[in-house]
This record gives sequence, structure tokens and C-alpha cells, in this order.
Amino acid sequence: MSKKENGAQWLLLTAVFVIATCGLIYELVAGTLASYLLGDSITQFSTIIGVYLFSMGIGSFLSKYFSKNLLAWFIRIELLVGLVGGFSSALLFIMFPLAASFRLILYAIVLITGILVGLEIPLLMRILEKKVEFKELVSRVFTFDYIGALLASLIFPLLLVPHLGLIRTSLFFGILNVGVGWYLAYKFSGEVRQAGLLKVSAIILLLSQLVCFVFSEKIMTYSEAMTYDDNVVYSTSTPYQRIVITKNKHELRLFLNGNLQFSTADEYRYHEALVHPTFSSLSNPEQVLVLGGGDGLAVREILKYPAVKQITLVDLDPAMTKLFSKQRMLTMLNDSSLLNPKVQVHNADAFTWLRNNKTKFDAIVVDFPDPSNFSIGKLYSTTFYQLLKHALRPEGIAVIQSTSPYVAPKSFWCVDTTLRAVGLHTIAYHNYVPSFGEWGYIMATPQEPHQWFSHIPAPLKFLNPTTLQQMLTFPEDMKAHQLLDINKLNNQALVKYFEEEWSKYLER
Amino acid sequence: MRRRSFIQSIAGLTVVSSFLASCQRQHVIKGSVIGASSHTGHLLRDKNFAAPVAAVEHDIVIVGGGISGLSAARHLHRQGITDMVILDLEKEMGGNAACGSNEVSGYPWGAHYVPIPNNDLTAYTDFMRECGVITSPPEAPLPTYNEYYICFDPEERLYINGQWQEGLIPQFGVPDAEKKQIQAFLDKMQAFRVAKGEDGKDAFAIPLDNSSKDPVFTTLDKLTMKEWLHQQGWTSPYLQWYVNYCTRDDYGTTYDEISAWVGIQYFASRKGKGSNADHHDVLTWPEGNGWLAAHLKKELQSYFKNEALVARIQEEGGKLAIDYFDVKESRLKRINARQCILAVPQFVAGRILHDEARIRKVHQHMQYSPWMVANIRSNALDERTGYTLSWDNVIYNSPSLGYVEATHQQVEQGKKQKNLTYYLPLTGKSPVEERKAAIERTHTEWVKMIVDDLDLVHPDIATNIEEVNVMIWGHAMAKPLPGTAHGTIRQELGASVNDHLHFAHTDLAGNSLFEEAFYQGLTAAQKVMTQLSAKI
Repeated sequence: MSKKENGAQWLLLTAVFVIATCGLIYELVAGTLASYLLGDSITQFSTIIGVYLFSMGIGSFLSKYFSKNLLAWFIRIELLVGLVGGFSSALLFIMFPLAASFRLILYAIVLITGILVGLEIPLLMRILEKKVEFKELVSRVFTFDYIGALLASLIFPLLLVPHLGLIRTSLFFGILNVGVGWYLAYKFSGEVRQAGLLKVSAIILLLSQLVCFVFSEKIMTYSEAMTYDDNVVYSTSTPYQRIVITKNKHELRLFLNGNLQFSTADEYRYHEALVHPTFSSLSNPEQVLVLGGGDGLAVREILKYPAVKQITLVDLDPAMTKLFSKQRMLTMLNDSSLLNPKVQVHNADAFTWLRNNKTKFDAIVVDFPDPSNFSIGKLYSTTFYQLLKHALRPEGIAVIQSTSPYVAPKSFWCVDTTLRAVGLHTIAYHNYVPSFGEWGYIMATPQEPHQWFSHIPAPLKFLNPTTLQQMLTFPEDMKAHQLLDINKLNNQALVKYFEEEWSKYLER
Repeated sequence: MRRRSFIQSIAGLTVVSSFLASCQRQHVIKGSVIGASSHTGHLLRDKNFAAPVAAVEHDIVIVGGGISGLSAARHLHRQGITDMVILDLEKEMGGNAACGSNEVSGYPWGAHYVPIPNNDLTAYTDFMRECGVITSPPEAPLPTYNEYYICFDPEERLYINGQWQEGLIPQFGVPDAEKKQIQAFLDKMQAFRVAKGEDGKDAFAIPLDNSSKDPVFTTLDKLTMKEWLHQQGWTSPYLQWYVNYCTRDDYGTTYDEISAWVGIQYFASRKGKGSNADHHDVLTWPEGNGWLAAHLKKELQSYFKNEALVARIQEEGGKLAIDYFDVKESRLKRINARQCILAVPQFVAGRILHDEARIRKVHQHMQYSPWMVANIRSNALDERTGYTLSWDNVIYNSPSLGYVEATHQQVEQGKKQKNLTYYLPLTGKSPVEERKAAIERTHTEWVKMIVDDLDLVHPDIATNIEEVNVMIWGHAMAKPLPGTAHGTIRQELGASVNDHLHFAHTDLAGNSLFEEAFYQGLTAAQKVMTQLSAKI
């Protein structure tokens, strides 16, 4: 055997090694990704391994139909494996939120990769059959094949997933695959027809995979934004949260960290209920404080009272208040309330702001996220409500959004208990907001007002005096039926109630 | 390609992968090692000082600006004393309650908390009221504590059997038989908490001298905590770990060394109750007890003389000649005083007094445990499953005591960085060996030790730590060995000399607790006042 022949043989065996490694990596990527996106890792891995092995069998079977230009076919297949396998995880990440039958795409990709890899070994053995003795050939090809598989199974969990992530792992091996294809086309350009075309397509593939490799983060973000039902019309990450706005024919929705904040279809029910019971009970609400509520929708309702002289809005996230002051689609929604000269926006932490505050207010609207973690739980504590009480005029009223009394009655009434514990009088009420379900609010005041609900502005879309009276009545399944702990910084009782009640509800 | 080149290519691939891995690991952790001025301190042991250059007169000199010294000064100041000087080797007063700060928050170099005070400690609760820790007037039936200072929930968690559990008492994955032993132990501690001796005093009290002398309890000072547990038949490894954790945490002493009486005191002496807090609650600040020290210091600034190493004290004409080395001016100075309080540990007192008998006794009976405390500025960390990040975070079977989140009492949302205070009592070998090894260790070595320990619970910690500052306390606290609490040694060493030299330091009580120091200072100040009024 000539030295050149020998060199060619080893080059091709290296190709086997790379193919085996890459093949198994694609299979592992598909398995991991499927368990990550669909759950139940045992089912995902065993079906994917099964489909992969079976399709390798199909590939082997099909190999007999290839009779001419074997080396050229081998290189083409090499490039194809690189293309399909390399882009597989990026494609799956993008398709997951979009496609109805994600599994179909998943198994199709596994099938195609399997068939291509399955084709390669028989083809290669036939290319080499005249150059090497059969027993040597079988031994070498399969040795390389299995060593490649071992290497893949070791580096995948230890190095690739932790350091590259799934998208970049499959791209990295796609690049390797294509690179080998290009090198073969270059090395054997004398023996292969259309070697130039193969080389050019290999380089195009290489470049596109490199670009994808660099922008893999963007692909992840895009995929995440797609998990919403409707079209994502806006999304951004701020240091505090991820803001996503979606839109369909009928409504626009705002999500913060994936949690629905409002839908334009029924937000008026929430914001009217949040604002008007309090403001209609005040004879002269001049100084107003809004904590949270950076969407300006509560402010829109407050501005319906001509007595209001100044509204101070404290929201943590400047991105949020900026968005709802500048975006036309959103300023139409809040009637440009945040741009009203009566409104002063402070982007600050509400707790710290209130601690340093010296002003007394006639009305305070507290529109914080639900107390789903210890950090937010602090904003529902006796310590915080002491500050709130201190910031209220004696005849002033504060109102607090207090989660769902239907889903979480203990949490809701715990807020009530906590407000009473600092010496505030409370009135609890609730209404139905289709997007959220049954929702609850609590008014708190240092001293009982002279007359409740006497100045409801007209016309409103939801509230009228009769509805308001109904909102004060709680059916049995929205009561706590037990003595509740006061939520303090050193017991965080509310977070525990909330966690217990909502997780039970979401399990159903 | 031959076999050799094939192996090379695999090796090449591995090199590429590990290069990719190391790219992410190239991360510089800032910080340095600070030590309580051991170099200057050791001059006392190693240097012969020349005669002092000048002498001034003062009524009272307090040597040592730790909590005992500050407390003594505060009481004297309240009694109308103005002719007083407090000398301390360090640049700042505060002793073990030292603290530091960075752009994120303050952080302590010593203890992070004090327990809710026992209600009968009126001088101490009055001080707490002055600092705004107690918000109710003295006549209130129960004190109300400032809720910003009561440790917020979630308070404690323990990483055990692959998961974080709430609280430090081992529960998760603990067999039922061991849980029963743990419960029996806790019940016994509760019984000790309410127990009283024949003399009507609490069996276990703080300060230690308020405890009953009833031999039923004091005999517990004759054996170690481990021996006592063994006597009770409590062999559970989980229980033993827990008890050992507690004695290392409060006393820097392992349970096989500590006196059983003192070990029990940890559990049984806390009896405080407030209208909004209970004996198991703690009061904490980002800068730990440095916050309380700052309040003690407030009215005493004019008496401070820092970077002053007291070299010797001698009797001269019925007065005390106190020679100190002024570090800034690098020369020896003298103060002649009528009364002096030595608010320093006994191993230092012996050297200052050139009292060979005292030095020998201290050497025989007392040991001082070295500690390492590190403050870690870190970004958000990866979490293992189980309970959420708490104030105190402990890893089962770790050589360290885990870490306290200094930023826990901040009320803001969306904190980006945190300060974590990491505690390591150096109890592996003898104090002398540990002290020597600690001083030789470099910043990089300390950081590696910390990262290796915390890596188990925060796999990404190496890349998310921004800064680690390390404090070495060569002689952090005296070990309460058997015989210390109820033997004779405390009286022998603590007795005033010739009615004008008094001692105040927690090592005389065998613990390093804030309340104990507060009363050590108070008692010494009262002795001084008695002497002054007798002579007027």
C-alpha cells in the first residue's frame, strides 16, 4: 500500500471518529433538550435513543442504493449531518413555542441525523474495501466509531453542557462535521467530481454556523419570548424584571417575569376597583401617593378626581415608567397619565422611599406584585404598614391590592390582620376580573371616614353604587375561617400562606 | 494518522475544551488579609522599651477599647467622670466588635448579633433603649423591639443530605431514633432554661456571675460537653454535630473540649422576652455588633487614644504609672493615674503587669482560640434545592460555621450584590499551631479554602465572588475549658490589685458575649467609683 493510500485511509477513519462523536452528541442534545422542554427525562431519552438507533438502521439499509461516486456522497452526507445536527438545538428552541407538534419536529430531526450517520459507516467501508484487508477494515472502522461515542458521552455532561450550553454545543459539533467535510473535499479534490462546489457549500455552512454560534444568546431570548400565546410586540430585560407585551386581535397583555399584570380586555375592572372605592370616600383628595403601578393605569383613574393636586408615583423600575410614558400604544391605554403635570414619577425602592418620606397624603394606592417571595413579602409587613400609616393624614385612606381571596383566602385576610395590627381600620372588598379571577383589595384608614363611597365619578365602565355594595360581601369560600398570623419581617407569615395556597391551586 | 497522533488529537480536543472552560474561570477576586495588629501587639512580648519621655496625670485610665472597656468608660462618664483616657492598640475602638464597610453595606469582623436581652438586665436594656433597639418606655410590661433589628425571616437554614432545610437543628434525612434524641436534648435544655438552684438564682444566667452556685449544676463544669452527652446516652451523630456546631459557634471551642456547664449555658441562659420577640430571636445589623459598639463610642470620643500599646504598669508613690508606646510617634509615654481598668485579656494583662505568676497561671489554665472571619462581596449565587437563602447559612459537617448574609436586614427589592460574612474557628489543631498556620496563609490560600467549602452549595461561587477580605484573630476568645466557669481561677485572676487596678474582660467569664462584656465593664466601673468616693 502506498504512503498516500495509507494517509487517505487514516484521514477517512478520523472522519468516522468525528462522525461518531458528533452523531452521539446530537442525540444527547436532542434528549437533554426534550427533557428540558417536555419534562420526563426517562421517556425522552429512551425514545430518542430508540429512534436514533433505528434510523441508523434505515441509513445502513439505504446505503446499498448508492453505487457511484461514493466519496463525493460521503462528503455530501458529512456536510448534511453538520447542517441538520449543528442547527438542531437552535431550531428546536425556536420551534418549541411556535409549533403545535413539537415532538414531530424533534423526532424528524433525530430521524434525519440517524439516517445520515447510519449511511456513512457502510459507505466508508465500501470506499475502503479495496484498500484495506476486510478484517482490518471492520476492526478499525468500528474501533473509531465506538471510541468517538465514548468521548462524546464523557465530554457532553462534563464540559459541553456546563460551559457551552445546548445551542452552542450542537453548533460546535456542526462546525466540526462541516470542517471535516471541507477538508475531505479539499484533500481528495482530484478524485471527487464537483469538489469545488462541495468546498464552497462547506464554507457557506461553516460561516452561517459560526454566526449562529456567536448569536446563540439571542436565539434563546427569542425562543423565550415566543412562549406567550399571542404575538410578542415588545420585550425587554431590566435589572429588576423581564417586561413582555403581547397582542392579539382583541387585547394587549403585559407580563412581568412571565406573570400576567393586565389585559386591556378587562383591566378597567381591576383599576376601577382599586381606585374608586377609596377616592369616592374622600372629600378632598389633594395629595396622592401611588406605590408600584408603573403602568399608569391606576393614575389614569385617579386623574378623574379634579380635587387631586399632586400624584407621586414610586416605581422601582425606570424602564417600566419610561415605557408607559413614551410608547404610543401604551400611552393611549393610560391616557398619557404619566405625562400629566400633576404626576411626579420617582424610580426608587418603595420601602426605602417611604422610610425617608416626610409628606402626608390623603390617599395612597399600593399596587405591588403578589407576595410570592420573601423579598416582596417585606412590602406587606407590619413595619411597612407602620410607615404607610405614618404617611397618611388622619382622615386619609390607603388601598392595597391583596391577591385573590378565592384562591388564597388566608393570604388575603392575613393582609387585613396585619393592617389592623398596626392600628388601621380596614374595609375589604373584591370583584371579578376575568383575566385574574376573583380579586381582592383592602382599604385602610387611621380613622373611619364620615361617609363611604359618596363621590363616585360618572361614568365608569364597571363600578356603580350598587356594584360597590355587592363587592363588600364575602361568600363563605372567600373567608379565612381561622385565626391568622400577623405578617412581620421576622416571621413572613404571609409568604408562607401565599405559597401554600397558590401552589395548591396551581396543582389542580 | 498513527496511534500516537491519534492520541495527540484527542488530547488536543481535551485541551481545547479545557481552554474554553478556563476562559470562564479567569476571574480576579480582590481583597486582602487583615489581622488585629499582631505585629504591634507582639512588641509587648518581644521588645524592651526605653524609659518614657513625658508624663501626664489622669484620674482614670482604661486599657483596651473593646466592649468591656467601652462599657466601663460609658458608666464612668455617666457618673460624671471626665478625667479619663482609653488606650487601645488598634486604629479604631471596638475590639472583637470591629466592623468594616463597602459600597454594598457594612459588615462585621466579629459577631453578627446579640440575642434578645434577658429582661432582668436593666442596665443593658436601658442601653438598648438609648440606641433605639427597644422602642417602648421602661415601664412597659414587656419591651417592644425595633422590627428593623429583629432578624428577618428566613432566619436559618442547614444544608444536609443534599438539600437546604429550614433551621439549624438537623431534620432532613435524620432517622427517627436520632430525631428522638435531638428532641430529648432540646427538652432538657428547656428544663435548664427555667431551672433555679437552691439559692434561688437561675441555674444558667448571663452574666455568668448571676448564675446559681448550686452544686447540682456547677458540677457540670467538671466534665466536657461530649462526656456529658455520653452520660445522658445521647450518641446520635446528628445531635453530636449540632452540639459541636453550637459550641464552636459561640465559644470557638469543640464540644470535646468545652465545659459541659458552659456548653449548656449557650442553650439555657437566653430567657429574654419582648412584646414582639422571644428568647430565640436575635437582634442583628449589617455591621453586626459594630453597630452597638458605635453607639457605645458616641459620647466617649474625647477620651480615646488609639494606636497606643500599653507596655507596663507599675506602682509609684501610691499611684499607677502607665507606660504606653505611641505607635504614630514611635515613642514611649507615661500617664500617672489614680485608678486603672485593664480591659484586656489576661494573657495581655500578665505581660503589661510583668507579673510572672499571672503569666504562668494563664499559661496553665487558659487557651485562646484563633478565628478567621472573611467578608465576601458576591453577585447572586446559584442555589441548591430546598429552603431559600437565609440570614444564617450552615453546611452540615463543614469545618466552617457557614456564612451570615450581612445584607439580610436591608428592605430594598432587587439587591444585585450581597455581603456574606464567613466564619471559621480554627479548632483543628492546638491554638498555637493553628495561629502559626493562619498567619502564614496567603490571601489566595484563604480564598481557595472558602471557595472549596462553599462550592458544595453554590457551584458557581468561584466566578461570582468579587471581593474577599480576611481577618485573622490570633487570640479571638478564651476557651471555656472545664473548671473555668466554677473553679477558682476566675476569682484569682479577676481580683483587683491594691484597690486601684481592676480587671474587665470576657475571658474572665470564659465566653465572648456582648452582654457579658457589657457587665464586665459595668462591674469594674462600679469598683472604680467605690474607690474614688472612699478617697474623697
